[in-house]
Amino acid sequence: MEVSRLPISASQRGKLVSAGYSSLSSLSSISPSHLATELKISENEALEILKAASHGCRLDSFEGSHAIVNGAQTAWEMLQDEDMLTRITTSCTDLDNILGGGISCKEVTEIGGVPGIGKTQLGYLFAILDFCINLELLLLLRGNRNYRIQLAVNVQIPADYGGLGGKAIYIDTEGSFMVERAMQIAEACIKDMLEYDGLLRKDSQTRHLKMQPKELLGNIFYFRICSYTEQIAMINFLEKFVSEHRDVKVVIIDSITLHFRQDFDDMALRTRVLSGMALKLMKLAKTFSLAVVLLNQVTTKYSEGSFHLSLALGDSWSHACTNRVILYWNGNERYAYIDKSPSLRSASAPYSVTAKGIRSLASNSKRIKMM
Amino acid sequence: MRPENLLELGATTQKLTLGCPILDRHLGGGIPCSSITELFSESGCGKTQLCLQLLLSAQLPASAGGLSAASLYLHSEFPFPSRRLNQLSHSFSGSHDPSDNIFVQPLHSAHELFDVLLKLNPLLTNPPSYLPVKLIVIDSIAALFRSEYDNNPADLKRRSSLFFKISCKLKTLAKRFSLAVVVTNQVVDFVESGDGLNGVRIGNLECLVSSGRRVGPALGLSWANCVNSRLFLSRNEEIVGEEGDDGGSGVVSSRTKRQLHVVFAPHLPYSCCEFVIVKEGVFGVDR
Repeated sequence: MEVSRLPISASQRGKLVSAGYSSLSSLSSISPSHLATELKISENEALEILKAASHGCRLDSFEGSHAIVNGAQTAWEMLQDEDMLTRITTSCTDLDNILGGGISCKEVTEIGGVPGIGKTQLGYLFAILDFCINLELLLLLRGNRNYRIQLAVNVQIPADYGGLGGKAIYIDTEGSFMVERAMQIAEACIKDMLEYDGLLRKDSQTRHLKMQPKELLGNIFYFRICSYTEQIAMINFLEKFVSEHRDVKVVIIDSITLHFRQDFDDMALRTRVLSGMALKLMKLAKTFSLAVVLLNQVTTKYSEGSFHLSLALGDSWSHACTNRVILYWNGNERYAYIDKSPSLRSASAPYSVTAKGIRSLASNSKRIKMM
Repeated sequence: MRPENLLELGATTQKLTLGCPILDRHLGGGIPCSSITELFSESGCGKTQLCLQLLLSAQLPASAGGLSAASLYLHSEFPFPSRRLNQLSHSFSGSHDPSDNIFVQPLHSAHELFDVLLKLNPLLTNPPSYLPVKLIVIDSIAALFRSEYDNNPADLKRRSSLFFKISCKLKTLAKRFSLAVVVTNQVVDFVESGDGLNGVRIGNLECLVSSGRRVGPALGLSWANCVNSRLFLSRNEEIVGEEGDDGGSGVVSSRTKRQLHVVFAPHLPYSCCEFVIVKEGVFGVDR
């Protein structure tokens, strides 16, 4: 159906056409306020036009949604969706436990810590493990034999894992991505998977993993960003890129911070730019059901007469991410602490950085500390 | 914007040899290109020695672990050790004088450093030497910053803003021209204090000890965020008992034990390697 046949006034029709809206489908995903500013009409008027358009749409296709607010869900539906959500494992059991199974898709998770604590190592890992998203359940429940058998039935692992996994976008602003390290971790992951593969199908040895580390790396879209202008452009471009690559399941930004710590005299502007970026990333996570992982640096904060450590980018930024994980040293061990999350309780867990990537501490006897 | 294909970047990041296979092995092949490596130690531990050696090894062909490239040495500590460079270059065989491929620029302030970086493009795109420039050494970054800024919040904020500006500019150049960037840093004494910030642990080592004192890198936490890899050179006197005399009254001599530690690096675990400085250069020792 064409715009020209909508039951609206001629002047409105004229405005729509001159603004480039010729078909009803072009009006389907636009908000009333957006349309109002574009056509320079009142919001009520815009709403009327959209109502007429959605009515027209329904006439076109018999099963349109009746809500003008597209995509609205009941809380029950959301809960069901959440149960279906996949999580990306950190491959450290303790860390996965406090994270409720891993980094969640559809959400923005921020991870911060001092230099050398292992932020980038976690980044590598998500980029690679993402590929094994369907196998992650197996890895997650390692050690629990009953589950393992059950899963073998439930998951119905297809013959060739290669076609399954998601892809990853790695946005490197710091220049710390080293191919050889990514390769090393990829090799370790494949070795792990082969091991679980063997455990699962002792009887049918016919199917073999034919995955190469190279393949895993080939599934990482790597972007090197050298200025904040580039970073803003990149975030704006992400939606288009992901809509062309629907199999992307994780976006990692290492780090969100670096370019925003220089040259910003106008701190209010910085806050606006950053929160705009955060909103876009949240929308991206939601729309495409992918996990967004932002790595952040730490800085010293002066308050009440003393200095203490906190994540960079200021107080307003701390609202920006859904989940916040802080990595810190405790004696000679690395710990992760859940600082903020709408669904997880505060807890900390130790992890270690090994040649294979992030792993549980070798000697581990129930060391998760609930707060 | 187009993503880069990781497989086309090569199996490993390009590395610049340190001029010694033992040291190279500890660093996964040498100093990585396209990123910033910091070398910090107290004075007299061999930072400048190692830097001079890098200036020379950069000129080696790729088959020998070099970059077949010229280098730029920005120095803020005076004078330029040209005599030592000359001495080191004797152990390098080549048809021409290696000094021809080393550009030297003195620096007197942090702002001057930033201005130099802004003007580098012509040198990097169209080098006056017949080799392209692939290595930038800044010796030392600390000397530039330690004099100019006071220890109050306003000055510290200006200082760290300049850190990030310099670091981003360096990283951009490093990426664009696949440069190896090496900066040296000094140490500060570790002072036990109430607020606990002084003891913020950064990297693999719980405490860094040199000359029997607890030290930490200068320029603080924000600078630590600016570098990709951090290496620490330590020097400690070690008592060596005279062999063959078990009575305890034997002659006790001491020797200087120098070590290179990987404090943090995206591609390396912690490792520690002993080294010696001799007439021919800096060399690792397998023990």
